[in-house]
Amino acid sequence: MRRFVPIVLTATVLLAGCQGGGGGDTTTSNAAFDPATCQGGTLTVLNQGGITHLDPARLYTSGGGNLPSLLFRTLTTRNRQPGDAGTKPAPDLATDLGTPSDGAKTWTYHLRDGIQFEDGTPITAADVKYGIERSFAPELPGGAPYLRDWLAGAADYQGPYKQPDGITSIETPDDKTIVFKLSKPEGDFPFLATATQFAPVPKAKDNGVDYEKHPISSGPYQVESYEPKKSLVLVRNTHWSTKIDELRYACPDRIEVTSGLDSAVINQRIVTGAGQDANAVTTDAVVGPEQLAQLGTGSELDKRVTRGEFPSTTYLAFNTKKAPFDNPKVREALSYAINRTSVVNALGGSAVVGPSTTFLPPQKALGYQQYDWFPAGDTGAPDKAKQVLAEAGLSNLSIELAHENDDSEGIGPKVASAIQEAFKQAGVTVKLNAIDTGTYRDITGKPATQPGLSLATWGADWPSGGPFLIPIFDGRQIITAGGNFNLAQYNDPEVNAEIDAINALTDPAAAAARWGALDAKLGKLALVLPLTHEKDVYLYGKNVKNAYADGWRGQLDVGRVSVK
Amino acid sequence: MIGHLTRRIVGGAIVLLVLSALIYTLFYLAPSDPAILACGKGCTPERLADVRAAMGLADPVWTQYWHFLQGIFTGRDYSLGPTVRHCPAPCLGYSFETSQPVTTLLMDRLPVSFSLAFGAEILSLLLGIGAGLLSGTRRFRWFDRLVNGLVLAGYATPVFLVGLLLLLLFCVHLQWLPFPQYVPFTTDPLLWAQNLLLPWIALAVIQTAAYARLTRAGLQESLAEDHIRTARAYGIPERRILWRKALRGALLPLVTLTAVDLAGIITSAVLTETMFGLPGVGQLLVGAVNQIDLPVVVGVTLLTGLIMVLANTAADLLYAAVDPRVQLR
Amino acid sequence: MIRALLRDRGFVVGAVIATGMVLVAVTAPLLAALAGQDYTTYHDTLLDSARGGVPIGAFGGVSGEHWLGVEPGTGRDLFARVVYGARVSLGVAVGATILEVLLGVGVGIAAGLGGRWADAGLSRVIDLVLSIPSLVLAISLLAIVPQDWPRPLILAVVIALLGWGGTARISRGETLSLRTRDYVAAAQVAGAPWWRVARREILPGLTAPILTYAALLLPTNMVAEAGLSFLGVGVRPPTPSWGQMLSTATTWFRADPAYVIIPGLLLFLTLLSFVLVANGLRRVLDPRQREILR
Repeated sequence: MRRFVPIVLTATVLLAGCQGGGGGDTTTSNAAFDPATCQGGTLTVLNQGGITHLDPARLYTSGGGNLPSLLFRTLTTRNRQPGDAGTKPAPDLATDLGTPSDGAKTWTYHLRDGIQFEDGTPITAADVKYGIERSFAPELPGGAPYLRDWLAGAADYQGPYKQPDGITSIETPDDKTIVFKLSKPEGDFPFLATATQFAPVPKAKDNGVDYEKHPISSGPYQVESYEPKKSLVLVRNTHWSTKIDELRYACPDRIEVTSGLDSAVINQRIVTGAGQDANAVTTDAVVGPEQLAQLGTGSELDKRVTRGEFPSTTYLAFNTKKAPFDNPKVREALSYAINRTSVVNALGGSAVVGPSTTFLPPQKALGYQQYDWFPAGDTGAPDKAKQVLAEAGLSNLSIELAHENDDSEGIGPKVASAIQEAFKQAGVTVKLNAIDTGTYRDITGKPATQPGLSLATWGADWPSGGPFLIPIFDGRQIITAGGNFNLAQYNDPEVNAEIDAINALTDPAAAAARWGALDAKLGKLALVLPLTHEKDVYLYGKNVKNAYADGWRGQLDVGRVSVK
Repeated sequence: MIGHLTRRIVGGAIVLLVLSALIYTLFYLAPSDPAILACGKGCTPERLADVRAAMGLADPVWTQYWHFLQGIFTGRDYSLGPTVRHCPAPCLGYSFETSQPVTTLLMDRLPVSFSLAFGAEILSLLLGIGAGLLSGTRRFRWFDRLVNGLVLAGYATPVFLVGLLLLLLFCVHLQWLPFPQYVPFTTDPLLWAQNLLLPWIALAVIQTAAYARLTRAGLQESLAEDHIRTARAYGIPERRILWRKALRGALLPLVTLTAVDLAGIITSAVLTETMFGLPGVGQLLVGAVNQIDLPVVVGVTLLTGLIMVLANTAADLLYAAVDPRVQLR
Repeated sequence: MIRALLRDRGFVVGAVIATGMVLVAVTAPLLAALAGQDYTTYHDTLLDSARGGVPIGAFGGVSGEHWLGVEPGTGRDLFARVVYGARVSLGVAVGATILEVLLGVGVGIAAGLGGRWADAGLSRVIDLVLSIPSLVLAISLLAIVPQDWPRPLILAVVIALLGWGGTARISRGETLSLRTRDYVAAAQVAGAPWWRVARREILPGLTAPILTYAALLLPTNMVAEAGLSFLGVGVRPPTPSWGQMLSTATTWFRADPAYVIIPGLLLFLTLLSFVLVANGLRRVLDPRQREILR
């Protein structure tokens, strides 16, 4: 899966009262930060990739995104705290996380009072409903697929332009109430409701594809100017205040985003911090080797870095319907043979990537349980792999590995060559099969064309085990026509039943424990070969305060930093 | 003259037509599908079909190409969903990736490529002519040799290699300059020049030597001509001969080359732009090819093709203008 | 002629280096074996993973085992990658040049001998090829060619398809001037078929100018291959090429400058040697064409 989310912030300041327990990295810098008096100044954001579509229907975000959530308030949003506390959703436009009924098949939300668009018009339940309906229009593609899957009767809905009567499974009995009818129980609905598709859109202002030129803000800022992939300037929305939004601090008066920059240049500028660059952060340029050299513990630069983790796993996908990967011994042998150190190096080194033996990445909220059923050590156990192959009567194994033809998404030639080399040590010959990045998902996502072995990545759309495990292991999600993510093509009724049972849970902690157990159980079957998980290390400018890695996204939250 | 121009224009139009048709055919044959990229993760086949239709990709390729041609001459309408937007002629369509008009994208990027090309061309002309004159007067034999050597070295140096070495030297090792980052001339002319300095030098390294050599050859040729010899015999000072008479003859061939070289820099600027991270037309192309953004690819191809055609025509006209012996038929 | 060439110092130096490079390319497996290395093996222990995977040690990790150090991010032996890279760089350039000469000379002679209409038609095609922005088109072409086609061959073909115009123009011009000569006219009048005229009378006259021009095309094509690989549309990993190494170097040159210098220097030297050879050939074979080098 791709991460479209364009924003990352780093920070290491702890707020009094804002420190969630657990995990995040919080280094202190500025005890004096106070959200009540942090207002002022211009924040500079220096990015590599820009936002291609600033339309809430088209954005694919986790937790509403970093920059987008400054414009688009959603029914719920991420909690914006470091560590574990940050992995929980919090009410945003709604008064609470939603009331489930009918076994979590119906979710009801009430809007809070006083919320307005940037032009002062009150936000109503109908605006939220309309925003969701727009995301079904084929003119506005790109958003997350969940609503099309979860909402009852959504399969035939083509958006409000072709079907102006709207979708029947969303009801708005009054201006303040919105009710969602789902086709199956979904305890994770409050997590999904953080996505920008849940942002209100005033129907009167909707001009379709052109809406993104000036989307109507419900958040603390509004668009002054926007050029796709190039620049975005945000200024204060005077109809927003901290009285109607406690989660965003909105400290800077103005935010200037410049995109299309080289990652090395961004990091160098932040390190140097000349002029406006002292107020700079980046939400997508991870530190490179030249900064890592200066990031020793206690160094000056070390105080200007946030370290977090976005839940995501890079792995090898076995197609268990294709020889020789239908043979568990082959999958086990390759699991022993893998050299995770070379893969880590190919992806940028141990500072930004960590080795994974589990499919779930190491976040408590996802239900992570440590296991290593086929110990390969740091650099692979080729002898053990050879032994397993020999026991199975297989020698001189020759296989093909599919990968993308560029390295932009971390499943390209660099990683593939590292794997090829590791398997060679175990006597397995690998032929590399480079597939154009533009068609890669199309080919791997159709069981008819899916190669036996392919590189894949999977990231969490929200911090819960469900979106991580269901598309990959739920046998009913094998989509033969295309868009399939269950690359193992594994279908076990027992596992499917367990997934349904966990989905009906509305207590995240209880669900997490069972997702973790399920992952460990599936791990024994070697259906996938986990390689690495992501670490996020970002620098920020000298003047930036209250920067810390938010537990949900592993990046600093632009909604909370200050440059005053 | 008029006949020549007409033929040039018709020829140029054919070149552009062939180029655009070629790109359309190639992308039609390619396995990549821009609709898949637009549709995103978890796209079902039904959704994909809808998105493809909304992007105008469901039509056969010749229909798409016909619409494209219509757009150039008469403009065309695009559906926004609730409303329709008219794209006036000459309409190159909208980017699949960002929905921006291709003409806007090109106009945004053109100043960068032009800044790069003109600056580099002027720099290399100045340096090249200077060096050529110095060596052409044959006062310094070692200098003559040096220029000769540099011509060969310049020919053997890819721009991205010079670029890397310049960055390494000036930005990393000596730290005299920041890493280049384009600043528009209108924002701050000084910063504009400072940031473009390294790319200009990188391009000039390759071009300068060739100009030096041409100038020297031209100078020697004209110094050997009869009227110069006559002038010398009349005792006109050598310096005046050099500046007034010989130089003119020496520089004529350069004038005609300038147009073609400029076009060459712009159309091959993709390497320089990638190297230095300059947001020019070339960088636009590389990004668009990766994103299967057909309208942008066609747009860039047409624009660079047009620049080539114009430059070649200009070179012909200039040649005729400076050299009365040449008659354009 | 040989003696004249040997008197040109630049030619001799160029020829020696160029021959050396060709030898390196041909004997790449032998050389790598001699160094006890191959171009695919990863050496994780030679990299500093916490610093992003830069080689440990001075000048890119140069050691008795790894003569030119190792590649950042993978630890693959740089010497082995460089000698194998020579194969791609030279192979593609030579292949493209041969194709260009065949195509260009073929079309050029056809235009020159074929009569008014053939000449007019083919000349338009030549003009077309000469006036397309070739790099732009090459990028698009290479991006959409199926990934599993043999990449070096595709590269050579694409470079040749976009670059045969010059050869064709020269061949046509020479053919036109040769056919006015008495012996060619005589052969034509005597009823010799066109292909015999082409082979017996025209081709020998074309040899000198085409050889001179081809000698210059070779380094041009090498730059083209390096440029396309630099832009990421060249050969596919793990096959090494110098252009690709320079492309990787753009992300590493701050942390590992040695990685720029080695492939860069080799590319420069090789190109220079071919240019020197071409320059020498030009002086001897074609003294009229003084300024072919621009």
